[in-house]
Amino acid sequence: MRNRATTTLKYPKIRQSWSKWNLYNLQRLRERAVKRQTFFQQKWSAKSLTRAYHGEQVRESQWERMFNRRVRSVIPMNPRRMAADDGSATAAGRGAGLDATEGERNIVQETPYTSMTYAPLERRLDVAIFRALFASSTRQARQFVVHGAVTVNGKKMRFPGYLLNPGDMFQVDPERVMFATGAPKNKYDRREARLEKKLAAKAEAEAAEKAGEEAAEEAKENEATPESETKESEPLDTRKTLQQMIAQAKNIMADNKTVMAGKRKQELRGFQKAVRRVMSRSSITDTQAGNLEAQFSEILTLLNAKQASRREAQNKKSESETTEGPEATETKATEAEATKDAEAPESAEASKPAEPAEGAAAAANEDKPTDALTEAFRQATLNPEKEVDVSELSWTEIDVLKRALVQLRDNPVDTSKPYATPWRPRDYMNAFAFIPRYLEVNQNICAAVYVRHPVARPGFSEVPTPYGEETSTGAYHWYLRRR
Amino acid sequence: MPPRIHSQIIPNSLLSCRSSASQTSTHSSLPSPSCAPLSKLSCSRHSTPSAPHLPQQSSRSFSSTPTTQTRLRETMFQWLTTEGSELKSHIPGTTNYITDGRNRKKFGPEGLPGDSKPFPLNPHFKSERILSEELRNDIYQRVVVKKQSVRAVSTDTGVDMRRVAAVCRLVELENQWREQGKPLALPYARAVHEMVPTTKLQRDARLQRERPHEQINDLPAHRLTDAQIFYPVSESRQFTRVDAGRVFSAAPARLRGDDQGDQPWEVVRDLNLGERRIEAVGKGDGEQRVLQPADVRIPHPHLITLESERAANPDSLRDVWRAHEKRLKEGNEAEEKRKQRKQEARDRQVFRIQPKSSRFEFRIKDVVVSKETTGTDGRNAKAPGRRYGVPRSDRKKGQVKIPTHVLV
Amino acid sequence: MVVRIRLSRFGNKHQPFYNIVVAQARTARDSKPLEVIGTFNPLPQQPTNLSNEEAKSARPYKDIALDKARASYWLGVGAQPSDSVWRILSLAGLVQPKTHTPK
Repeated sequence: MRNRATTTLKYPKIRQSWSKWNLYNLQRLRERAVKRQTFFQQKWSAKSLTRAYHGEQVRESQWERMFNRRVRSVIPMNPRRMAADDGSATAAGRGAGLDATEGERNIVQETPYTSMTYAPLERRLDVAIFRALFASSTRQARQFVVHGAVTVNGKKMRFPGYLLNPGDMFQVDPERVMFATGAPKNKYDRREARLEKKLAAKAEAEAAEKAGEEAAEEAKENEATPESETKESEPLDTRKTLQQMIAQAKNIMADNKTVMAGKRKQELRGFQKAVRRVMSRSSITDTQAGNLEAQFSEILTLLNAKQASRREAQNKKSESETTEGPEATETKATEAEATKDAEAPESAEASKPAEPAEGAAAAANEDKPTDALTEAFRQATLNPEKEVDVSELSWTEIDVLKRALVQLRDNPVDTSKPYATPWRPRDYMNAFAFIPRYLEVNQNICAAVYVRHPVARPGFSEVPTPYGEETSTGAYHWYLRRR
Repeated sequence: MPPRIHSQIIPNSLLSCRSSASQTSTHSSLPSPSCAPLSKLSCSRHSTPSAPHLPQQSSRSFSSTPTTQTRLRETMFQWLTTEGSELKSHIPGTTNYITDGRNRKKFGPEGLPGDSKPFPLNPHFKSERILSEELRNDIYQRVVVKKQSVRAVSTDTGVDMRRVAAVCRLVELENQWREQGKPLALPYARAVHEMVPTTKLQRDARLQRERPHEQINDLPAHRLTDAQIFYPVSESRQFTRVDAGRVFSAAPARLRGDDQGDQPWEVVRDLNLGERRIEAVGKGDGEQRVLQPADVRIPHPHLITLESERAANPDSLRDVWRAHEKRLKEGNEAEEKRKQRKQEARDRQVFRIQPKSSRFEFRIKDVVVSKETTGTDGRNAKAPGRRYGVPRSDRKKGQVKIPTHVLV
Repeated sequence: MVVRIRLSRFGNKHQPFYNIVVAQARTARDSKPLEVIGTFNPLPQQPTNLSNEEAKSARPYKDIALDKARASYWLGVGAQPSDSVWRILSLAGLVQPKTHTPK
């Protein structure tokens, strides 16, 4: 099937996708001026606009067969009002109810029936996966289905056009969902993954060689040697890794530049970042094996080393900060100007000189967490079963500690994954994030139940569509085939 | 083809920004600080308002075609770095749609709380709340562990009955996964719950009832009510919802003595018990059942009785609630009985046998071969078995070839 | 001529489905029979709508549809079931199950 789901800027069409192009097109979308158009033109353009969003992957003839002029709608009933009135009050007077004063009469909102034109398409499996926020576009959802990552009621379903019935449960492979909704890896992550892969392959080859040499020895020793080796080599490398970490930190700062400029500044985010970076040094094999204690102790040693080095660095940085302060603001200003005209990669390049200053500022923030907090974190990491002594901590600090520990367990750094780790949502996801009521989603297991068909109710239509009622009405009338 | 001449800096050209950038990109591995003032200068010159974009000022110096695309791209990236940067990452606890950004601009940093419309042009679509994790687990606890009825949990938490069932199923599956140690998408789940409005679990049961998650008494619009009917009624007559249903289904008007004054929940209970039948009108294929009033067709008819009793005796609310629970229980029993009867009827048709020599079970269904089922020529659609001489429709155009249902 | 009760194959490739038919012995397998008295689906189906405990002990099942009255009538007038139909009829309790006796 040819992919027509391109998002162009010249002739913008809104698609079922989370891309930034689509976001830009969506925000500059304005009401159409239909005054000059003939009825046919109005209907045609309405149809073409809405169809670009709703089921562009479905052939027109197929959709025409699916279209139904009857729209499902519900009326929310109030039991209190029904108890008070058996309906005769509505029929009283001349058939339209007794004359009521303005205050008494409840204003009934109109039901946007025509916004439900594309309701039959919401039954499709690929669309439902997109609506449940399991994929970043319907096309991607379709690919998940075709590639066999989706089950319906526990059985693999390979047809993206499967029409869900009320009560059907569909599941998507969580790894795929994390990939689809997570931020992509940057080039440093990719490089790190490559290196890890190489190292692993090397270690494996060495182990195999050793196994060949020491064939006479016991099998137990064979297994133990590679592990002990890596453990011995880690402490030696800590200084090197720390230097790498500082370099890496700058890169991270560069990536998250706009994020930090935004509102999302959490006060103790610096501490989390430190934890995250320390975590990144822990080897993946440990997390995979579930050997949490070994991982925790490893983190602890690195934390200590990190703290010592940071104290040294703090003195230097505080000096440099005072001198660099005005400069940093200057460079920031130029950055903004540069990004105005330049393309994305260029802006990244232009902002490079600004990094050291920003990195320093962030490093200063990182020193915010008190010694008590780090101590508690140390305790928690040392023996996870034991209760942590939190008497010296403030509430926010305990919260941060909890979050850090939870994150440590749930969201580990794993370079083998196809998305940036630790996982974070992809950019601009929130601008498209909503879950319609006809789906009940459990995000933990990436499963959802199609509870019922979408319905219209007074003042509200459950089919998510970017266009208003006027456009939808045009499209509805187009498919009524009375042109 | 990649541009060739621009690999060097051209001092007096307007292209310097691009060319300098391309130069830095070639040395991107070494972030040289010497590049910084250069790019700063050139870019700032480029962005001054005195230098408007003209078609000939494009990067393609030999091309005569206007470069509208590039300008569109530029404005897009400009928007993404300025206004759009607010939408890049989510604000935990609130939504962050395009309309929210505009509201913040209009009404201050708080915006319009509760006005969560993802599409700026569609005021009829709102991002609705989803169940928070605590509420979900609470529903599961009530239904599965405490064995409360789905109907009671639905009215208590303000969640649709179908959704209650779905939640139980999903949480059950989640527990299974946790037991098996399968990896869950926890960071993803947390992020989604931060982005989307959620319904929190209230510790107070009364608060929970007063702030429902959704409308639980939705009446689906019936096909018969589409028509607008002009039906003259004398002013003295009490024309109720029951009468309106009869008019819609073209049934003869009720006689005065027919009104039994049954409560709607009693009607539903009797229907479940099989003690009452809905009256039918019409003959042959045109036969249809009389449209019942909304009181009977809504999911929670007993709430009407509760409300009327509450209005009648506001002093003894405790008794009212006790009576309500009793009614609920009675209704549930009737529903269970109906399900049981249906299951029994299904079992009666099928004879099951599990032979010791086989690992399969055989289900033998009784069919009837007679003139009524097979017809005179043996080709009747009701006849047992695949039919002879009638082409199958599984390859015809317009037929759905993919499965239409998957059984659990 | 012998009248037999036998299976005639319908369905698609890898998806057999049989009609249990009464037919003259020498006619083609899928030709029009004297009478169709039932169906047999040899593909085992997974039982649905089970609780977790039930699912552990549940057997996959095969669907048979049969008009017992017609089957016993045809047996009474001397129709000879084929081996596979004999097995099905024995499950329904219309004939004695054949015990395999080695020569």
